[in-house]
Amino acid sequence: MGDPQQQQMIREAMKAIAERKPGRSKLVYDKTKRTIVAVVEGAQTPRALNITADDADMFAVVTVSSRWLREQWPQIMRDRVTSTLFSSWDDGDAFTQCNLGIHPAPSIIQGAVLFGDGIEPPDGTQLRVILTPTQNSNLDPSTFVAPDGSTHCAEGRRTSNNSDEAVTAVFVDVQPALATRRAGILETSILSDKSVLVFGVGTGGAHAAIELAKCGVGRLILVDPDRLSVGNVVRHPGGLSQVGRLKVKVVCDLIRDKNPDAQILTHPVALTYANVETMKPLIAQADVVICATDNRPSKLLVNKLCIEANVIAVYGGAFRRAYGGQVLRVRPRQSPCHECFVAAMPEESTDIEVSSVADAEEIAYSDRPVAIEPGLSLDVLPIANMVTKLALMELLAGKPSSLSILKRDFDAPWYLWLNRPEPGTQYASWPPLSESSDEMTINRWYGIYFERDLACSACGDFTSALAASYGIDAASLETLSSLPSKE
Amino acid sequence: MWTDEQRRRLVLEHEILQREGFTQFSVYWYRSTDTYEASGAASSNSGRAYSLAIPIPSGFPYQRPPMYLTEPFPLYMFDGTRVSSLGVSHQMHTLAPCSNGFVQLCHWRDARWHSNILLQKVFLKGLLWIEAYEQHLATGRPLAEFVLTMAERA
Repeated sequence: MGDPQQQQMIREAMKAIAERKPGRSKLVYDKTKRTIVAVVEGAQTPRALNITADDADMFAVVTVSSRWLREQWPQIMRDRVTSTLFSSWDDGDAFTQCNLGIHPAPSIIQGAVLFGDGIEPPDGTQLRVILTPTQNSNLDPSTFVAPDGSTHCAEGRRTSNNSDEAVTAVFVDVQPALATRRAGILETSILSDKSVLVFGVGTGGAHAAIELAKCGVGRLILVDPDRLSVGNVVRHPGGLSQVGRLKVKVVCDLIRDKNPDAQILTHPVALTYANVETMKPLIAQADVVICATDNRPSKLLVNKLCIEANVIAVYGGAFRRAYGGQVLRVRPRQSPCHECFVAAMPEESTDIEVSSVADAEEIAYSDRPVAIEPGLSLDVLPIANMVTKLALMELLAGKPSSLSILKRDFDAPWYLWLNRPEPGTQYASWPPLSESSDEMTINRWYGIYFERDLACSACGDFTSALAASYGIDAASLETLSSLPSKE
Repeated sequence: MWTDEQRRRLVLEHEILQREGFTQFSVYWYRSTDTYEASGAASSNSGRAYSLAIPIPSGFPYQRPPMYLTEPFPLYMFDGTRVSSLGVSHQMHTLAPCSNGFVQLCHWRDARWHSNILLQKVFLKGLLWIEAYEQHLATGRPLAEFVLTMAERA
């Protein structure tokens, strides 16, 4: 290590940068020395200090969960020590307590929290977090407040290759820290009692589920029978290290890494009529259903079940090659349902993306195959974002939130988005974005109104209306006597 | 298993078949199994006899019902091979055959089906398929040359 004064200056400068406020010293780039130096502000002759490799090592950080430590406090008071594991990242630049998240680093090391210096850690301990009681009321990230109200400052020490080096100890309270980034927009626990059911956790559904968890939705139910393939990885939030896992499990872990308190239920089952009895209770538990599947039969099935259960559903889908997409929100028997949509806009409702073998088989004959089409994650995410936002608006309905102002903006049932004016489509002649002020263009959301079909077969009384159109008395349909029967 | 709305719909489907002149077709209720099937005989313009059967799936009308050509059985192509051997075929406008070998005619694909489509229209497409099939037998040309790809609109 270099001179203690230099270390202190660099520490202050780094802290000031991290907290985005001016400090007594700061880091600047020295063109002549071609390196970053720390300078003391206000000094007549600013003292420039080179940052050496040793200085850089000083900034290794060990992060410990405050909640975990509070839970361990009785044991620490009794034994003066408790063990835990840390992920070691980036050649020892950061040590993150494994309890904090669900994705450990390739390298895990044994650590311990010790109450006071001089306590012998367990054998094999490479990282120590040493607590020392303090009266300092200035709580910084290195200070821990115990359940009994006492405060303790922490110092980290890492043992490596027979050397003992200082490591900056930081305590984190996950949920309050996450909430501060939503405060004022989404109040802390406003969504913690809400449940969202997501059918299909491919690129769009996974993104929507993760975003809702980040917003603080307390319960997510994920339904998808598929496994993550290599081809998915270019768009799906899951990575190559997850290939072969069920998508619901991959997304579950991604959510837990963002919102550890979220309750997540996973159901790797197909959305088919054979599984209707499995789906019904899941839908009944949900405040909002997101349908991010990519085929019509599953969407119409969700539509039927959600109308029966009187649960709001949001449907998202990309057009072929993800040149655009659409989002439909259905408030049962209040706004047009998916069957109304299919009847009103048959062309739009059939323009779906072909992103998997199953999708291709759905469309193609075996002697006239349809290729799996490419599509960019970049082009799917705007649609997933809109799905998330519409779901969020429904979850917040009736709750005080600064997002309530958006109610007027998200009034339409159907939303259209175009990533590009795809040749061969009705959108090919749309004007360039830069030249249009009042015509429809790419990269804008359009809320489109259409009427609910009161004679819809899913949300209306199709049978009576159809019977009337044929001059048939609807009351006569109640009996089976008019049907020929067989044994 | 069946909702009242489904039963009303099936009674109505039967009534429409009768009123629209499709009297050779009926919706049948199988008492012992409480299942439904729409079926009937069809004659081509040349006078040949065929039978069409539509087993009603539990999700009807939201779930697409398959339509099978049950007679003649087996059904042969111009070159003497079984139509069912093709499986899902654009050339013959067929979907996956029934496990017992009945040919499934393509009327609407799953991706195009919606619940406003009536069984009467499904049978109509069956009748068109039969006429195209006979042209195939007469010329050896693929059936697809005699029927356009199924329209997207109901």
